[in-house]
Amino acid sequence: MIGCYVTGALPRPSELIEKTRAYERKRIIKKELEESFEKATESVIKAQFSAGLNYITDGMLKWQDLLRPFTEGLKGIEVGSLTRWFNNNTFYRKPIITDSVKRDKAIVKNMMYLGKMPKNLLWKAVLPAPYTFFSLSKNQYYKDKAEFMFKFAEIINEEIKSLAEVGFSYIQLSEPALVYEPLAPNSKKDKLALMNDVLEVAVKGTTIKTCLQTFFGDFSKILPEALDFPVNHLGIDSYETDFEKLKEYSFEKGVALGLVDSRSSLVEKPDELVEVAKEIIESIYRSKIEDVFICPNCDLDFLPWERAKEKMKVISSVTKHLREEFS
Amino acid sequence: MNKLFPTQEIGSLAKPRWRIKGYRGKALSEEEIAEAVNWGRKLGIENLEELVKLLSEGDSTNRKRAILEWSSKYAIRFFETAGLDIVFDGEQWRSEMYEHVIRKTAGFKFLGYVKSFDYRYFNKAACISKPKYAKSFYLDEFLFTRENTKREIKVPFTGPYTLVDWTFNEYYEKKFSGEIRDFKRRKFEAKRELLFDLIKDVIRPEISKLVDAGAKWIQIDEPAATTNPADEEMKLFVESFNEAVKGFNCIFSLHNCYSNYEILAKYACELRNCSQLSLEFANRDSRQTGTGNARIGYKKIKLFEEHGFHGNYGLGVVDVHTNFVEPPELVRDRILHVVKIIGDPSRIYVSTDCGLRTRTLEISFQKLKNMVLGAELARKVLR
Repeated sequence: MIGCYVTGALPRPSELIEKTRAYERKRIIKKELEESFEKATESVIKAQFSAGLNYITDGMLKWQDLLRPFTEGLKGIEVGSLTRWFNNNTFYRKPIITDSVKRDKAIVKNMMYLGKMPKNLLWKAVLPAPYTFFSLSKNQYYKDKAEFMFKFAEIINEEIKSLAEVGFSYIQLSEPALVYEPLAPNSKKDKLALMNDVLEVAVKGTTIKTCLQTFFGDFSKILPEALDFPVNHLGIDSYETDFEKLKEYSFEKGVALGLVDSRSSLVEKPDELVEVAKEIIESIYRSKIEDVFICPNCDLDFLPWERAKEKMKVISSVTKHLREEFS
Repeated sequence: MNKLFPTQEIGSLAKPRWRIKGYRGKALSEEEIAEAVNWGRKLGIENLEELVKLLSEGDSTNRKRAILEWSSKYAIRFFETAGLDIVFDGEQWRSEMYEHVIRKTAGFKFLGYVKSFDYRYFNKAACISKPKYAKSFYLDEFLFTRENTKREIKVPFTGPYTLVDWTFNEYYEKKFSGEIRDFKRRKFEAKRELLFDLIKDVIRPEISKLVDAGAKWIQIDEPAATTNPADEEMKLFVESFNEAVKGFNCIFSLHNCYSNYEILAKYACELRNCSQLSLEFANRDSRQTGTGNARIGYKKIKLFEEHGFHGNYGLGVVDVHTNFVEPPELVRDRILHVVKIIGDPSRIYVSTDCGLRTRTLEISFQKLKNMVLGAELARKVLR
């Protein structure tokens, strides 16, 4: 199919921002804040289906950062100091791994506004992927990266199953660090082989669709190994990826093309994006076109909400054009 | 400066409630007016009855301006009374380091709040046309400060790289959309052109005004300098600093904090006309006295030395994010530890990690006094 969805957290609408600020300054109580989150969640869900997106998320408005539900929700991890979020002017709290990591309850499912999700549409959820989680943490317990990543992959596996049970049909694993960090030629093979094995554990026994969404870095540098990763789709940040290199490979997997720039307020022209998408699709699918999703390159929450809404309309419009082209 | 270990602050100081509410035209409580009087007495400010009268008046343009001047005078006396050698006015004329400049420059539009972290946000602007100098943003504040102190002045100046990095770049991205196909290249070139247009048409004209008005030392604040550690971005940052300060008869320094010093160290020696790097270390350090192992927070200064930076250091010896008041002996040992690493004590200016605006005036005052005392203790040891 050719479809579209968002790639992660949506921006908090301005009324909600005001409430969170008021809460910080102790001017409103938790209950009032909670009501605002619910109301805002309803409106960001509605905006997604009004724009015509094929999978709907709950907007992740409560997530303080991609890792936080796990930083706070897992045993064995403590919340550390504010740290820059890649090359952005935003910050996350560094997970400090102090002990054996345990999940004693479902994490993301319990954060979701399940009652607000539209019954007749497909649902998508987002989880942090193991490499990124480790890379952004301070490890004081595990003997090496691999040991932690396998452990975290088991937790992700349980999370995916619990989300599938309540009706989610699509899981995005966010993996920015893998493409952001330099990848030395001599360690590339081992690193990506480890990724492959870890992902096997993460998706084992699950039947819903999964996407490894990379961003903030050049996707082409994890090729060709990524083509064999045990996920259904691979997510690509078009604002960081060398298209010419990408086009050298033939794909037998679906892709999520991050064609709209979440880190720029300029609203893209659909025509230009359609041209770029066509070119990529035609070169990476030489025999048969697989699933193609048009999406923002990363979480839209770098933008004010009003601008994010316009960008959702752009991805929807690009998707419509592409469907006409390739039907 | 002839004195060893001159003391300085970085820029911002908390604004008193009478400054914030008074400037907004809101009525002040008796308690808030009393606070103004108490601090005024403590700092030896003259004609306090005039301030009390002003604070009790209704809002007007003249009153706003007068309140800025009063709070500016308070901050200058505050730093002087604490004993600093190099002062400014605690940035009392500025709402915030980014917004203050962007609001006074043509070509930008604020789009609203975007997230910073947790429940914190910042008001982010987009560049929507070629930036144009509209009105001066630092000159009046500098002139007032100059009139009101005999101490050496260092003017904090938000750097162009940070202004650009914190701004959406609609105008230039659109401009390049027909010319450059590669999205990444397009964004980079758009950033580059915005940066150098801003330097040429806004930053340099303002520096020029300050220098003409007698500014001798301008500190370029670039918190975003290492946000993007890629080589081409770091080169762009260095080039932007060099271009901004080129050819002026003035001393320049760079302040960068809570950043990636491994990266900055590699590029610092390429900064031309940069007499001082003021860096933050105290917050990374232990609170035990002593030189050597206790000074874990100062490890990274070695990197700057190894990469060949020969200028001075504005050495952060006071953490601006805690209420812990560094004892003079701790300040002394932080200084002496770095003397051992770099050899030449005359390269050290004693400094806070960053601006003090998040601390109360009481805490800031104690911290600065101890910093001054600690510098004196260090001088005694070397005498």
